[in-house]
Amino acid sequence: MNTMSARLLTRLYPRAWRQRYGSEFEALLLDGQGGLQAGANVVWSAIREHISPTQGGRMNQPSYSFLNLFKIPSAFIPVAMSLSALALVLVHIALYGVAREADEGATAHLWQLLMAGQLPVLAFFAIKWLPKAPRPALGVLAVQACAVLASMAPVFYFNW
Amino acid sequence: MRSTRNVVKREPNPELGHYSDPPLLVLASLSGGPKHGHAMVEDIARLCGTRLGPGTLYGAIARLEGLGWIEPLEPEDRRRPYRITGEGLRIFRAKMATLQQFVKAGTERLEPL
Repeated sequence: MNTMSARLLTRLYPRAWRQRYGSEFEALLLDGQGGLQAGANVVWSAIREHISPTQGGRMNQPSYSFLNLFKIPSAFIPVAMSLSALALVLVHIALYGVAREADEGATAHLWQLLMAGQLPVLAFFAIKWLPKAPRPALGVLAVQACAVLASMAPVFYFNW
Repeated sequence: MRSTRNVVKREPNPELGHYSDPPLLVLASLSGGPKHGHAMVEDIARLCGTRLGPGTLYGAIARLEGLGWIEPLEPEDRRRPYRITGEGLRIFRAKMATLQQFVKAGTERLEPL
């Protein structure tokens, strides 16, 4: 079976199942001969897994790693917003220098929007993930805090 | 243990059918030593001529792991081998004893015919 088909078929399973077995299941599909019969078997099994999910064992204890958690939109969007804000500041410095301006320009407004806009996303992430997976969630929050500090550093450094 | 209908078959003799109880087949395969998914499919095919479909195999693996009858080992590349646990071995022995009794009783009934 080719990689694309194996990935698509694995995506049919519920998220919890994929987190536990996805990688090894995909490897099995890639090892196998594939074909319509095997594909139908996977589709039917995935439907059954949705109707009657596997219980017990490690299925009830989903393991959230830092990287798994970082793929969640509410984890990476604030970081992306902070980095965009930092990029805005750096582009502004490159184009217009570090002199303080009398009036706030479009760059400053965009920077403020990016910094303020990420606050609800950050709060949502913390409320949802800190109770479920404290350690990796704290790691993600630390990365988010670093990104915020990095984007604020030039603003404070040049006393804008 | 749930019975199965979703088995990708390769029967040596279509008239005789095939044995199809994926969790038991997985236990039988792992009683011969730890194996990953593809090795289990091949081993089971050699054992009884039944080629389990990938979905059926992992349905059985997930349930057996949930029951604590098999356990995962460290993955080798992306393939993860499994091994039978002490409890799984005990269940497999009990199941085999039942099947032996069944075979014996069935054979005895066939003798006068």
